[in-house]
Amino acid sequence: MNAATQPRPQPQTPRDEAYNFAYLDEQTKRMIRRGLLKAVAIPGYQVPFGGREMPLPYGWGTGGMQLTAAILGAEDVLKVIDQGADDTTNAVSIRRFFARTAGVATTERTPEATIIQTRHRIPETPLHADQIMVYQVPIPEPLRFIEPSETETRTMHALNDYGVMHVKLYEDIATFGHIATAYAYPVTVDERYVMDPSPIPKFDNPKLDMSSALMLFGAGREKRLYAVPPFTRVTSLDFEDHPFEVQKWEHSCAICGSHDSFLDELILDDQGTQSFVCSDTDYCAQRVSQGRAGQ
Amino acid sequence: MSTSLATESLPASLLQPAFADPVLDAQRSFRAALKALAGPGVAQSLLATQTPPHLEGLAAASHALCLALLDIDTPLWLAPTFDTQAIRANLTFHCGCPIVSDRQNARFALLDDSQLHDLSGFDLGNDRYPDQSCTLLVQLPSLQGGTQLAWHGPGIESKNHVSLPLQEAFWQEREARNDFPRGIDVFFVAGSELLGLPRSTQVMFKPQQSRPQQSKGAA
Repeated sequence: MNAATQPRPQPQTPRDEAYNFAYLDEQTKRMIRRGLLKAVAIPGYQVPFGGREMPLPYGWGTGGMQLTAAILGAEDVLKVIDQGADDTTNAVSIRRFFARTAGVATTERTPEATIIQTRHRIPETPLHADQIMVYQVPIPEPLRFIEPSETETRTMHALNDYGVMHVKLYEDIATFGHIATAYAYPVTVDERYVMDPSPIPKFDNPKLDMSSALMLFGAGREKRLYAVPPFTRVTSLDFEDHPFEVQKWEHSCAICGSHDSFLDELILDDQGTQSFVCSDTDYCAQRVSQGRAGQ
Repeated sequence: MSTSLATESLPASLLQPAFADPVLDAQRSFRAALKALAGPGVAQSLLATQTPPHLEGLAAASHALCLALLDIDTPLWLAPTFDTQAIRANLTFHCGCPIVSDRQNARFALLDDSQLHDLSGFDLGNDRYPDQSCTLLVQLPSLQGGTQLAWHGPGIESKNHVSLPLQEAFWQEREARNDFPRGIDVFFVAGSELLGLPRSTQVMFKPQQSRPQQSKGAA
């Protein structure tokens, strides 16, 4: 269930010399690195890159892994999370992949990591300036569900023409009475590009705004990468009469008692008994180790 | 004998070693460049142990950036100062980058401060693909000593005060050519230090007593 008990020590594995450092070849890394520099210079703009086949299927974080491989150095400390958890299959596999191909140190502690690759969450612990977040992105184009043509969406980005996005959010209000988008909630970066923040819950959107850490986004199947530099304004789209707001829970975490973290709902039996626990396992474990506990 | 060599087949005697550790030194140089561009106006230093051996005419950081970022996909334009046999031979050999005489075709350009009054010709990208613009590597004697200007924008918490030794003509050129998202991204390099100026950075011109008529007021 939740890794709230004892922190597992991460053994440092020797690098597997059969692979180039961090798996990718140097020319691929250079291509991705040049793309990343342009992505940082044009915040929120999707840079096409020559995505490579990785030894795992699309949808398992191939985009994020290629970015991590391109930026990773021998001195880095890598943390990988999947839906906030360090101990799920995707997170464990990717962490082991880089421990083996790059020989880097890994950690589950957010403050100790220099690179955090993530699927669908931003850690609850505030990030600092020497950290880089790498997001795994399935569909990088926020307009794709409205306009299937890449030529058209590229033109819309070029012309700063995002009216259709507001129409979609308005249709939510017309149908449900509120903006029903709960994850991958579109944002405007530095008052210019509309960007998909990857499928993080909208709860995490405010953490993108003026963050101290550099944010990099990689979509392997779609072969796009983009970035939000530190201290960049990131605003969630909304309306004056329907302002953006994040999820709230009446419950608190059953393990650490936190009232303000993102909670996962667990169904405990056939009668539908619910329990709520933190999605961020490291945050939860730290609170428990500091002596805080649930009811 | 050497005079009979065509300019294309450069003498092997000009060649010298590049990065001691081609993988990790390139990664460290890239990370310095990434940090420089993600935090405009804050100088990043490369350690002596991770920079390549001295190449006549190139600062350590310029040399490291070239080795880290250039390859067969990146045509390079050289300002006349840098268009020497040694630089051509080594960058062609170690990076494999084509060296072009036409600014329009360059993805990277290596400039010194004598070139900064005229940035015409460099690719600024287009509105659909602004990332296709040329990246300028500008080698300066120092990263300090000029008029202090306040930079703000993405990557900068409030304001960064930067005093690059640049003529006003450079800022006017940049102002004239930046039409976000199209624009010019620059790395300023001196010795083993580098400093990033992405197109997204706005440069504030404070009124100066010495020059009462300040022409270009950015934003």
